[in-house]
Amino acid sequence: MSALSTDTHFATPHSPAELREKKDRRRAISLLTPGLLWMFFFMVLPMAMVIYVSFWTQTTFSVNSTLTTASWKHFLSSATYLSAIWTTLRIWLIVLISTVVVGYPVALFIGLFVRNKTLQTALLVACVIPFWTSFLIRVIAWRPMLGTEGAINVILMKLGIISEPLTFLLFSEFSVLVGMTQIYCVFMVGPITFMLGRIDISVIEAARDLGASFGTIFRRIILPLSLPGVIVGAIFVSVMVLGEFATAASLSGRKVNLLGNIIVSQVGSLKWAFAAVAGVVLTIIITAVIALALRLVDLRKEM
Amino acid sequence: MLTLSRVSRRYGETVALSGVDFVVPENTYMSLLGASGSGKTTLLRLIAGFEEPDQGEISIDGDRIDGQPSHLRDIGFVFQNFALFPHLTVAENVAFGLRYRAHAPLTKEAEIKDRTEDMMALVGLSGFGHRAVSAISGGQRQRVALARTLVCEPRIVLLDEPLGALDANLRARMCDELKAIRERLGVSFLHVTGSETEALTMGDKVAVLADGRIMQSDAPDMLFNQPGNAEAARHLNAWNIFEAGLCRGDVSSGTIAVRFDQMDVSAEGAAPQGRPALGAKYLTGEFNGPTALSFFRADDGTLLQVIDHLSQPRLPDLVEGQRYDIHFAPQALRQFHGAA
Repeated sequence: MSALSTDTHFATPHSPAELREKKDRRRAISLLTPGLLWMFFFMVLPMAMVIYVSFWTQTTFSVNSTLTTASWKHFLSSATYLSAIWTTLRIWLIVLISTVVVGYPVALFIGLFVRNKTLQTALLVACVIPFWTSFLIRVIAWRPMLGTEGAINVILMKLGIISEPLTFLLFSEFSVLVGMTQIYCVFMVGPITFMLGRIDISVIEAARDLGASFGTIFRRIILPLSLPGVIVGAIFVSVMVLGEFATAASLSGRKVNLLGNIIVSQVGSLKWAFAAVAGVVLTIIITAVIALALRLVDLRKEM
Repeated sequence: MLTLSRVSRRYGETVALSGVDFVVPENTYMSLLGASGSGKTTLLRLIAGFEEPDQGEISIDGDRIDGQPSHLRDIGFVFQNFALFPHLTVAENVAFGLRYRAHAPLTKEAEIKDRTEDMMALVGLSGFGHRAVSAISGGQRQRVALARTLVCEPRIVLLDEPLGALDANLRARMCDELKAIRERLGVSFLHVTGSETEALTMGDKVAVLADGRIMQSDAPDMLFNQPGNAEAARHLNAWNIFEAGLCRGDVSSGTIAVRFDQMDVSAEGAAPQGRPALGAKYLTGEFNGPTALSFFRADDGTLLQVIDHLSQPRLPDLVEGQRYDIHFAPQALRQFHGAA
């Protein structure tokens, strides 16, 4: 009798725990599937296609699928394209720094000095208000602000600070930097505010009690604890700025050529292979920047 | 010596402290007993300088400290939730004050290391210096918080319910250790707690804070045996406080108190001659191991508790819902003057 029951026990294919585990696994997979399918068909596949097209043969008005490295050679030996890479990197770095410089104090105020959650949320929403209008309007609105007869020049002349309008304000690298900083600053403010808001106020009081001045507390406690927020913000800003073309197109007066602008103009003149090369180069740069950012701070620890 | 005189603090309409007069002598373990919401934490925060009093003066050894920035007050504060620096190791936490304080920071790494290690040895943290504060237990975090404060040699150490976050076993051990550490350092501790046993065990002196005022500040046995007013007695959780009018026999008027362990119970009408007695209904009993607690309801609704020690039982068998006579020796009674 006992032998029989042992046998039936062994014959049972799955214990309840195994069945449950199987069910959990199935649920996890079904949650993942839509995202994976989307990523495969609309990211991995197109990405592979872009790399493939970058090795196609480009003639003046058409492109054919004979493989060649000519587009790559042309791209990497052309001063125009190389300087576009350099300009992209320079503008990215300056915008990154200026969004931190402008955004950190704002985040510090909202995240640390405003301790009322409702007010905190209200202020963060206020930061997003410019996004209620379209991207283009936000960019073009800088023209009446920065132009030779724009608001800033008029006010400075009325005040007698300058006698001739400042021409570097608009259609220059300066206006591109100003425009981008304004647009992307909020993506820096958000993550930093979030990290600062998570700092336990008693930790700061403890540091004060141990004799540290506000400057020391900022350097030794607040800044290190908010660094993951800065990194996440930097990743947001970097990804968006590196792929930018619209701000440069409408505020630089064609003086600033970013990789994004090159892609737009190449696609416009049907040079698909060149555009693909620029796209691959841009992707490599963005991947490198994100990898570098993730090396700086261990985000896994902060999640 | 820390002195508070007429210290008041209001939050909008709520009065947290109203005219606190309080002294913590040199080299003393002072317990401050108060219910939650009695203003205990506010009192500590005023002393540490995280907040300022609306009125009154706080001084240490004669120099006034209210109005001074908290980082220059030279007062240690041990937080209830420990408030360790999450991104620093145990040793870095302990060394923080020595290294980064605005007034006379240590610059020689060797000296910082020596003092940090000595202090970690004192609180039983040797060998844990390199650990992350997230990788140690609750009791060890408590020690880090303590070591971090003590290594700076503050003029007084304020402990805000320091044992609240620990489990019962650990709490008993930390009690002994806190006392021992304090005695070795010779600095005054002001330990705030809501537990009367903790306050009585730890304190060389115990103060009771209620209604925003210090009700009594005395040696623990003195406070326990002779509470000066009904409020103080109520906080000790060992006294029945009731109206004298409930008692038969020759009892004075007003509010009186009798300790749980000094009340006896007999069948209704069988109370011995010469002992004040009152009738009450038995509600229920509570068995606590070495002691048993019996609850009675007096005629005016007052809840009375009688404690019985298992080794020397003196209560009869009680039936729930039945009336009994509760009586006590006339000298066991404490009378309070003024309002309860």
